[in-house]
Amino acid sequence: MKEINDLNLPEDIRYSDDHEWAKVSGDTVLIGISDYAQDQLGDIVFVELPEVGDCFEAGDEFGTLESVKAVSELYFPLGGEVVAVNEELGDAPELLNQDPYSGWIIEIKPNDSNELEKLLDRDAYLEILRGE
Amino acid sequence: MGVEKNVTLLHEWHVENGATMALFGGYDMPLWYPQGIKAEHLGVIQSAGLFDTSHMAVVTVAGDEALTLLQKCFSKDLKRCLGKKKGPLVRGRSVYGLFLTPDGHVLDDAIVSQAAERFYMVVVNAGMGGIVAQHLVKYSAGLDVEIDDLTDRVGKIDIQGKNSARIVASVLKDSDSVMSAFPYFSFKGWYDDSLDIAGELCLKDGTPIMLSRTGYTGEFGFELFVGPEKLLSVWTMLLEAGKSYSLQPCGLAARDSLRAGAVLPLSHQDIGDWPFVHTPWPFAIADRDPAGAFSKEFVGSEALATLHSHEYTLPFAGYDPRKIVVSDRAHVVDEAGTNIGRILTCATDMAIGRVGEEIVSIAGDDTPDDFIPRGLSCGFLRVDRRLEAGDLVFLTDGKRKIKVEIREDVRPDRTARRPMREML
Repeated sequence: MKEINDLNLPEDIRYSDDHEWAKVSGDTVLIGISDYAQDQLGDIVFVELPEVGDCFEAGDEFGTLESVKAVSELYFPLGGEVVAVNEELGDAPELLNQDPYSGWIIEIKPNDSNELEKLLDRDAYLEILRGE
Repeated sequence: MGVEKNVTLLHEWHVENGATMALFGGYDMPLWYPQGIKAEHLGVIQSAGLFDTSHMAVVTVAGDEALTLLQKCFSKDLKRCLGKKKGPLVRGRSVYGLFLTPDGHVLDDAIVSQAAERFYMVVVNAGMGGIVAQHLVKYSAGLDVEIDDLTDRVGKIDIQGKNSARIVASVLKDSDSVMSAFPYFSFKGWYDDSLDIAGELCLKDGTPIMLSRTGYTGEFGFELFVGPEKLLSVWTMLLEAGKSYSLQPCGLAARDSLRAGAVLPLSHQDIGDWPFVHTPWPFAIADRDPAGAFSKEFVGSEALATLHSHEYTLPFAGYDPRKIVVSDRAHVVDEAGTNIGRILTCATDMAIGRVGEEIVSIAGDDTPDDFIPRGLSCGFLRVDRRLEAGDLVFLTDGKRKIKVEIREDVRPDRTARRPMREML
């Protein structure tokens, strides 16, 4: 398992305390899981995704990640409508282990982009990880 | 098992090599190493993997009436257990079975090996050495027998996978003669100088070992028993020798997914403190005649012969890698949605997938070259009715629901029983 100092936690994205990340991309936001999350889960073997058009509030469950040892729920870090899902994960769920930041999971159109400001920056997220 | 945290003598090596650790059977053990469970699981199927199994316990039973005691306590009939002709257990051979309570519940499963005249080695699960030894002591009144719990006094390493013999042979002294006749469930040598077979089998550096053609993955391989002072050197020697075969250390997670696909039970999870009836493992107890009578009496046999249970333990496999994590909420439902039982084990065998309805392994001779295993969930259910192979049920945790098929077997093309001559 990685030491906290070895985790790859980019500066230009926001994090949730459920270990998702959110990255603004024009009008939409890409959502994925952090390096910490993929490292904790181990090999991810299956990703259950929502449908395009599904709407969620912040904190809602939107899918599951299945690793060889565990099943983990995915939560919306901010509310919105799903405008795209990463279909590549169907055949290659291991992309989330290989590079959890290029391996995005869903793309949403946020209800309120101000919600993004409520998410954690890198330093605040690191604080949470140090407490776990 | 309690909250005590024991470690094996390889603990420091596991941590230094980046293993994700977790408590199992009272021992802080590696779950997986940085290469990940999938690589470890597939590594065993396609080449070989190395497991620290020193958390398991060894109990020895010696004396003029050692056989009498084991015949009384062990579920297999040691006078009728070897081969198709049902010969007696002899020196150099091993047999798998159970220690039961008088009401037919499983205390633990074990491999019993006859190491010398009137001397037997009993290998049980982590934390169970003392309990099984006490159980044997309880039934040994008036018998000329000595029972020793050797917990933490014997090192144990498993090497599993089709290249295991090639790797082990490269570190053995006189490997040609050692490997020439070596049937499944037999062993050679001893790990210290307490027996006259000590020195029969040594590594090239002179380390005495007991080499046993057994394992817990369903794949070809060995269990090596060594003195604790030699555990680390033998572990690193094997890893070095196995480099050209991409031998990797494997954690308990890969061990669990491999054994689930091989339809092998985990003690205290798939068998345990409930009656051992209607299971996929009838071979773990003494043979029965057509009228149902066992070939010998043993602790628990009367209960097994007379119990009427409507509980059935059954193997299953899913249609994709999705699992339901075993928890209080997890249960089995039939097509009508009725709760019919619980999930004992649910793991993902990463070496298999479905082609149509058929389960195919990456190791199969006829498996197409472009077959990429997606993995299938598999394990054991305990349900309140008889179900047949091919029947469909659903596993659910109240939120998710996955369809699975009752199976007789799960991962095809396993190698555990392959003749040695094909594996060198």
